[in-house]
Amino acid sequence: MTGLALEGVGLTRRYGGFAALDNVALQLAPGEIRGLIGPNGAGKSTLMDVLCGRGGPTAGRVVFNGNDITGLSAQARRRAGLARSFQKTNIFPDLEVRKQVELAARMAEIDNTDEVLDVLGLSELGGRRAADIAYGDQRRLDLALALVGRPSVLLLDEPAAGLSIKESLVLARLLKDLATSWKVTVLLVEHDMEVIFTVSDRITVLNLGKVLAEGSCEEIRANTEVVRAYLGSSFE
Amino acid sequence: MSEPVSRVAPTVGATGPAPRAASGRMLVSAVLLLAAGVAVPWLVGSQLMLTLMTQAVIYAILATAIGFLIRQNGLTSFGHAAFFGLAVYLLALNGKFDLVPAEVAVLAAIALPAALAFAAGLVIVRLPPLAFSMITLAVAQSLHELMLRWRELANGDDGMPVRLPSTLFGFGVELFQSPSTMFVVCWCALVLVVLALAALSRSHFGVLTVAIRENEERARYIGYQTLVPRAVVFAISGAIGGLAGVLFALYNAFATPGALHWSLSGEALIMAVIGGAKAVWGPPLGAMVFFVVKDAVGDLTEHWPAIIGATLIVVTVMLPHGLSGLVERIVRRLKDNRP
Repeated sequence: MTGLALEGVGLTRRYGGFAALDNVALQLAPGEIRGLIGPNGAGKSTLMDVLCGRGGPTAGRVVFNGNDITGLSAQARRRAGLARSFQKTNIFPDLEVRKQVELAARMAEIDNTDEVLDVLGLSELGGRRAADIAYGDQRRLDLALALVGRPSVLLLDEPAAGLSIKESLVLARLLKDLATSWKVTVLLVEHDMEVIFTVSDRITVLNLGKVLAEGSCEEIRANTEVVRAYLGSSFE
Repeated sequence: MSEPVSRVAPTVGATGPAPRAASGRMLVSAVLLLAAGVAVPWLVGSQLMLTLMTQAVIYAILATAIGFLIRQNGLTSFGHAAFFGLAVYLLALNGKFDLVPAEVAVLAAIALPAALAFAAGLVIVRLPPLAFSMITLAVAQSLHELMLRWRELANGDDGMPVRLPSTLFGFGVELFQSPSTMFVVCWCALVLVVLALAALSRSHFGVLTVAIRENEERARYIGYQTLVPRAVVFAISGAIGGLAGVLFALYNAFATPGALHWSLSGEALIMAVIGGAKAVWGPPLGAMVFFVVKDAVGDLTEHWPAIIGATLIVVTVMLPHGLSGLVERIVRRLKDNRP
């Protein structure tokens, strides 16, 4: 046992001669919210894919709660408590909101459908077809599908994409609360720096498939390489 | 964050205010429909009409099988006649070679298409929808060619009789060959199939398969294995196709390669599309409309398929959920306008 919730060891993902991930190491402590940032093409989504089982690494290992899960399917990882949400809203459009959360709960050890619907403000929409609810609600439904069953680790790929500033900040507060009260470890990919710097305990910066920097929010803000490569002068 | 939206369409796995009440309504409807079916032979004097209606009900069962596949898997079969014809020929060949008791053959004629569909489904339900459709068509046509050309086995285009014992499941075989009694048998089978599929679509399995149809990747990422449920749907659909074939063989007591032909698959698919696959009862409705148009227009002109074609175009363009979708819309509107 490493005492870590999730660990990526020497993760490499190659597409022919191109390395989307190049020997990336990542260590997430239990209950931590880790921001993962970087310019487009830095390898953030590839890293999420490798961690959740969407695509295996060319080299390296994924260790979840002390167990090597590199060879496990995405389904098995979810059942073990590693959940993810997606960059694009990924729900079941023709199913009622409540039905799909119940469906997800059935595969989890804990059926906390009501709790998740309540926490995400979806209770009143339970009987509505997912395709008929507003975009912001669909994003929260996507999150609900990942959260149901209280997974121990949650990989969130741009959960605030397409949300208004107000909605993004509500989401950020929600994530912070969940990490504290449910003790969920979160790896958060997000382009909205306000969200990232509001909720993250630590931040990892990827650039060209490699870890450029890792540290607290203050350390990342002060890192000149990160500012030059990604954040821009407004953060200096 | 939420905004009010327009009235929602009927959804799969709808919880509604009272799912139990819905199940009760379904059961009452089924009992009424069964009773109505029993009464039909007394109300319809013409044996010719009863023969036509019996054929229509058998094809309605085949259309229901296709509709179920569309509804749960989002896949369109262009070769469901394979399951239908396989059942017909299994009974015919069993009669010819006297392999097993007829009752066992009847059950095998339902089970074998299901088993084949499941095994094939494990491979082909993963394919893109068009490839799936083409493969089903190719398999059915291969079987058609096999029965057409292997004269020593199946007597080619001349067909072969389905030899049955004098009693089947304790009933005299004439029960299955008289239009007035066979209509009731087929009607009961149709109602029970529709009832079973309606119950299945409300079950966890039904909701899961629709979820997989809607977004297979997401279903995997909430922890579900997605291949086997899709293959099971194909197997159930194959079994229902086999059931239709069994009823056809018992009634007509004759097998021809036509039972495997693409035109039969096509007609059943047209019935499912006209009726609408979103409701379980849509394909049977489509079959009834198909046969009514065929009968009514067929008396006036030999070009009745053109009318069917035009109906198909109108339904496809104007009624994406078929006639059943239209009926549901009208019923909803009437309910909304009720004081």
